Amino acid sequence: MAKILGIDLGTTYSAMAVIEGGEPKIIESKEGARITPSVVSLTKTGERLVGIVAKRQAVTNHQNTIYSIKRLIGRKFTDPEVQRDKKLLPYEIKESSDGGVEVKMGRWFKPPEISAMILQKLKQDAETKLGEKITEAIITCPAYFDDSQRKATKVAGEIAGFKVKRVINEPTAAALAYGLTKKNDQQIVVYDFGGGTFDISILNVTSDTVEVKATGGDTHLGGDDFDQKIIDWLVKNFQKDQGIDLSKDSLAIQRLKEAAEKAKIELSSSQETEINLPFITSGQSGPQHLYYKLTRSELENLVREYIDKSIDLIKQTMKEAGLEPKDIEEIVLVGGQTRMPAMQEAVKNFFGKEANKTINPDEVVAIGAAVQAGILQGEVKDVLLLDVTPLSLGIETFGQVNTVLIAKNMTIPTSKTQVFSTAADNQTSVEVHVLQGERPMAYDNKSLGRFILDGIPPAPRGIPQIEVIFDIDANGILNVTAKDKATNKTQSVRIEGSTGLSKEEVEKMKKEAEVHAVEDKKKQEIIEAKNLANSLIYTSEKTIRELGDKISAETKKEVEDKAESLKKEMAGDNLEEIKAKTQDLSQSLQKIGSQAYSQAQEEKKGQEEAPKTQEAEYKPKAEEAGHEPKTGQDKNEPKAEEGESKEKE
Amino acid sequence: MASEQLPKSVNNLEEQLTELAKQKQEYLAGWQRSRADFLNYKKEEIKRFEKIINFANQGMILKVLPLLDNLYLAEKNLPENLKKNQYVQGLLQIKIQLENLLKNQGVEPLEVIGKQFDPQFHEVVEEIESDKEIGIIVEEIQKGYLINQNLLRPAKVRVSKNK
Repeated sequence: MAKILGIDLGTTYSAMAVIEGGEPKIIESKEGARITPSVVSLTKTGERLVGIVAKRQAVTNHQNTIYSIKRLIGRKFTDPEVQRDKKLLPYEIKESSDGGVEVKMGRWFKPPEISAMILQKLKQDAETKLGEKITEAIITCPAYFDDSQRKATKVAGEIAGFKVKRVINEPTAAALAYGLTKKNDQQIVVYDFGGGTFDISILNVTSDTVEVKATGGDTHLGGDDFDQKIIDWLVKNFQKDQGIDLSKDSLAIQRLKEAAEKAKIELSSSQETEINLPFITSGQSGPQHLYYKLTRSELENLVREYIDKSIDLIKQTMKEAGLEPKDIEEIVLVGGQTRMPAMQEAVKNFFGKEANKTINPDEVVAIGAAVQAGILQGEVKDVLLLDVTPLSLGIETFGQVNTVLIAKNMTIPTSKTQVFSTAADNQTSVEVHVLQGERPMAYDNKSLGRFILDGIPPAPRGIPQIEVIFDIDANGILNVTAKDKATNKTQSVRIEGSTGLSKEEVEKMKKEAEVHAVEDKKKQEIIEAKNLANSLIYTSEKTIRELGDKISAETKKEVEDKAESLKKEMAGDNLEEIKAKTQDLSQSLQKIGSQAYSQAQEEKKGQEEAPKTQEAEYKPKAEEAGHEPKTGQDKNEPKAEEGESKEKE
Repeated sequence: MASEQLPKSVNNLEEQLTELAKQKQEYLAGWQRSRADFLNYKKEEIKRFEKIINFANQGMILKVLPLLDNLYLAEKNLPENLKKNQYVQGLLQIKIQLENLLKNQGVEPLEVIGKQFDPQFHEVVEEIESDKEIGIIVEEIQKGYLINQNLLRPAKVRVSKNK
């Protein structure tokens, strides 16, 4: 089945995506970029350039490089927006014979023809990347576009050689990308803060439609304005400190512009950044260097007025729709600028809840268009819209550890199997305690249920093989089964609602795991060290028992003493000491090996037994574990008989 | 059950059976296709990994380039009397070290002066008057680079606008 291309035809940048393997995926341009500048140009030699190459020569070709055509498409020449842009755009614009707009690029073109050139490049690049012809597309447009603008967008697609299946609203596409259109009677706000425009849309989702209740925004407010504030700040500071006005120096301004955008982006993940531009200009006393530190809070002060303005615009739009913040069920963030923590915070405070922001905000609209394409093609059948487990599922193993079998965010239905063993000699039953959560210690997680499998034939610890299977069906019902491979005896428990936690509960548990991550890790290390120590002590006791007088009394005492010392250490929580003493004991144990080997070489007969058992002993990743009747965790390296994770498909 | 109803219920069952058989076929086909998609995806994954490693390398190199840019700026701004200075020579040797590091990664600088402007490789920052033909690059503002023959970063240039 031929793919339908989902296209976000943006004012400054465009992006495209398709459904691949049931999932939407962004397609890269020929140049290897996930977004393509919406710029078209005609060079002096008559060559047509589209995308990043067009942008690179804009400076030499102002008059024949067309950008932001989206501001003009489908509008009348007398439209105030057109009149305003006419003053700002460097290329010629005139009224067409039917009252519309025409732009000059060599000759006169109608805006859909220009947009079609962009779409054509996207089409070619997609066909190259996918290795197949693409004839159909879904193109997005702003929710405030009128009939004429939508039609012009469709025409652009047709000129480019597409059959345009739908022209859908950008905010609707964003909502689709997050799967928010499945529930009935939802109010959704889409906050779209891009490079040059700010759009706010209020959607109402019913069982069969997505209705746009209200739109608002500012067509000339965007991330570029934020960059400008930083540039102004740098110029002002430099003027104050060095007495030089950098705004007159075009090359300096270029470097400042790049550095400002870079700094802005860095401050979304760091508290502080530096702008370091040596040799920014030459002054009377020689070369001048620019070096300033910018903190996140300083940046927030610089741009506060813009963020506040966007919130005011939300208020206005909400009023028009007759809604209160509490009426909104979901918020979606679109546009690169929404990565800024202060902006996310402002939106969260206004609505009193977290926004959906996990999908790349530069790509979410294209992703949504692809999802729409998938729905139209029936590739995303309702029954195939699958859920994920929001939190990890596991069992409690020796040392009160949470051993995860199904990690969070795994798509269901799915199945995972792992083999465990006993923790003590002659342990005849194991308790399977099912846990849900991210914390490493069992007691910090939610207990979903427990059961006991008994009738395990007595054996040394670590020998029995208990297969534990976690199986979740498409409805989120978890079946946990424990099977003794020797007797084939099984026991199981069925747990409902393992995926039915509310979003708030899931977030809370994830947050707690993050907050406690460091101390949890420490606890985990101590437990692991103790488990290892335990195994080693068990091994040394077993070895002494089995080899008896084949070991010199001296060595025997050494090993026994070290084991004693290690046991005492294990009562406490000194990680370094436990590790050191474990290492100590291990080295002493090895002496027994060398002794036994040299003995074996002297007396060849009747010594086959000893070397074998000793060899098995030395691998510190022992199968054995400690005392209590809980399942013993098999150590890290999954050897065939010990720990296996099989995915049943 | 009355005898007249029997053929009717048999019909019903036959209808149901046909419907279910159709559905089963659909589900089976869908399942097989899904499985095939998955296996194909796995195959592509391996190719993707290679790409990602390359990509990560390129990302790192792109981050290192501005340091070299600034070293070139520093060199360009050296006053005559410092050019032979021992300390300066030492620092410039570090610059050479950086250049070699990049060369070993397959990075090649672009030669641009005197060449015709080509947006595939160059980015114009300014047009200036000169005695060269229109479109000829007269000054290099920032070096451009290729990596394994592909464009890594375009060169920023000044282009002639008048004869």
